[in-house]
Amino acid sequence: MQFIANGFIYRKSNSIIHRLDPRIKLLISIQLFTLALLVSDLYNLLVIFTAITIFSLLGRITQRLLRTMIFATGFSALILIINYFAGYSLIYSIQIALRFISIVCSTSLFFLVTSPDELEYVLRWFRLPRDLVFAFVTSVRFVPVILMDTLQIMDAQKSRGLELEKGNPIKRIKKFVPILVPLIINEVIRSGELAEAMESRGYGISKNPTSLYSLKLSNFDIIVMISTIIAFTSIILLVY
Amino acid sequence: MIKFEDVSYNHPDGTNALNDINLEIPENSITAIVGNNGAGKTTLVKHINGLLKPTTGTVSIKNNNTKESSVAELSRDVGMVFQNANHQLFADTVENEILFGLNNFGFSEEFIKERYEFVIELFNLRKYENISPLKLSGGEKKRVCLASVLAWNPGILILDEPTVGQDELQKTVLLEFIDQLNKNNKTVIVISHDIEFLWRLQPNIVTMSEGRIIQIGSPEKIFRNKELMEKVGIVPPQIIKIFEGIGIKDKTPLSLEDSCKVIRELRNH
Amino acid sequence: MSVKDLIRFDNFSFKYNSRNDKVLEDINLNIKKNEITVLAGPTGCGKSTLLRAIVGLIPNMYEGEYTGEVTVDGIRIRDAEIKEIAKRVGFVFQNPENQIFMFSVERDIAFGLENLSLEQEIIKNRIEETMKTLNITHLAKKAPHELSDGQKQRTALAGVLAMEPKILILDEPTSLLDPKTATEFMELMNKLCKEREMSIIIVEHRLDLVLKYADRLIVLSNGKVISNDTPENVFDYKKEVIPELSVPFSTKLYRELAKNSMKFSKPVTGVEEMIKEVKK
Repeated sequence: MQFIANGFIYRKSNSIIHRLDPRIKLLISIQLFTLALLVSDLYNLLVIFTAITIFSLLGRITQRLLRTMIFATGFSALILIINYFAGYSLIYSIQIALRFISIVCSTSLFFLVTSPDELEYVLRWFRLPRDLVFAFVTSVRFVPVILMDTLQIMDAQKSRGLELEKGNPIKRIKKFVPILVPLIINEVIRSGELAEAMESRGYGISKNPTSLYSLKLSNFDIIVMISTIIAFTSIILLVY
Repeated sequence: MIKFEDVSYNHPDGTNALNDINLEIPENSITAIVGNNGAGKTTLVKHINGLLKPTTGTVSIKNNNTKESSVAELSRDVGMVFQNANHQLFADTVENEILFGLNNFGFSEEFIKERYEFVIELFNLRKYENISPLKLSGGEKKRVCLASVLAWNPGILILDEPTVGQDELQKTVLLEFIDQLNKNNKTVIVISHDIEFLWRLQPNIVTMSEGRIIQIGSPEKIFRNKELMEKVGIVPPQIIKIFEGIGIKDKTPLSLEDSCKVIRELRNH
Repeated sequence: MSVKDLIRFDNFSFKYNSRNDKVLEDINLNIKKNEITVLAGPTGCGKSTLLRAIVGLIPNMYEGEYTGEVTVDGIRIRDAEIKEIAKRVGFVFQNPENQIFMFSVERDIAFGLENLSLEQEIIKNRIEETMKTLNITHLAKKAPHELSDGQKQRTALAGVLAMEPKILILDEPTSLLDPKTATEFMELMNKLCKEREMSIIIVEHRLDLVLKYADRLIVLSNGKVISNDTPENVFDYKKEVIPELSVPFSTKLYRELAKNSMKFSKPVTGVEEMIKEVKK
């Protein structure tokens, strides 16, 4: 079953970036994102771009970030061409495209190095309502499970002669009924069982549940935080 | 005949699931596949109806390589009933659930009608014909699944954990049913953890562990091999333990009646 | 009420609002401390309803007509706070997948403890201790999808066990496990029951694997308790056994032989006893 979940975005690693406090990772990501939005000259964009590359190298996620980048590049090539033909200068069009890539990559960077577990801690730290945080947690937790269900249902129906590869589009949509119905029913049953299990383990009995770990900034976290903030503000000051 | 020749299978991410599988399942036989969780039993049987195609080696059904046929084509002769009934039931009525496969394969109206009548009687489902299969109990759902697959009369039937959640009466019905199929020249393959059930069924047993076939043999041979059982994660049925314990080292009686006879004779001596 | 009774049903009946007939009718039961009770019966006999009534999911989550009393460790379930029940009773459901909520084993074990608002230190200690008992310490940081079926089962159990319940309920815990893993699981239950002075209730079809450990066997059929005794007494050859029950082979053999006038010192419920009786 692992091979399905492995295709999922986050992967365990022990890199220097992975070990940062999730709030710091979020901060870095937001700073890069904001810069990408604010700056517009080629020179500064390249600085941001370099920063993203350094972070991804340190986090050993370059390969997967590259995939995001290729996707974004395809998209931004389109932006570039449209801009160029709309009469803007080439430099300006390149800037717009580069900006787009930076925005996408800075967001993706965060999700590639932050486990859902850490994300939950961040959400809790923001004091979001517990139900909301838990809804987020379970929906991410059950993505691989639902995927497995879907595959098993498809196997079962294919074994009963359901042809999924052939036929015109309208007929194909109709063919998804035998897959969607069991899937929905299975997930309804699952959510019922989930609710029972949550209830019997005391979900909701306390307004202030405690937590196994609390987020604590290490010295290294603080150094990273301060240095990135300094870099961030100096770029902003330089630009304006 | 089902034939696996040097079959190995890797998942799309590269992890190995089957290795070095060589297996022949003769026509008109009953075969059970046993082994610990994750041994590759389901992966193995999915090769028979083409849901999975081997990474290396060949799987052939009646000398036809499965690589050359689609799942739908293979399924005409290979019926597979999955463990979880909720993974297949979707129609608004039991009738439509059973007709689903028959319609997919495009049989003649006459054939469909005849087969439908046959299975609805066989599985005692007449009274549920117009009810949603989802409203039925677990045991009844399983019966609908069986009926819906058996409807198109496949020559090979694969059952994945058919006894889970079934009570003793239902198990006995299942046992008689498999026997009946076998008498009608069908090949039956069962994946099961239910050792007591397997003893009553007396199939050919294929034991698996970590994606490999470890040994093939009769229940008597397999269940007396302690080392083997440890390796594939099973325990012997009680009947074997009892007769071993009282000193009968081979020819374990097959049924309750025979067991009584043997013990009574032993006491009379 | 005897001090030893941990769970009591007094004239308990229940009808779900969504159904027309009573699922359980006039149940009178008592379950003692430090015992393993096996609950068996055909599908639809009311087993799940009985369990829900013990853990308070009835009437808290399921509405219906509730008559009679269910008392657990001295508290009346009907008007008890969920918190009070959750501290006393742990419920391990059939499908472990649906009771692991968090992204790592240790976080999942913490789930119930966090709900009880325990302090961080206590939570950490309990997790460590539970993982040690269940032999899953090496899995602490694993995500649910990285676990095997047997490991998922243990994780689900750990999440409940860490809350230190007096009563542990297991709904068909072995149905998805291979026989060897299932046997190991039952050995573990037996150890826990003795060491932690816990009462364990196990719902199970496969009596051949669990009966050996049972102090008591309760058989439900059509919403009524039809047997409630030691396994030996339930399977005494003079008594009727419903045909839906998967009686272990050793017991079947005993009943058949005893009916045909072979003498036994007591009813047989396991392999070893059978061997002893025959060798005698």
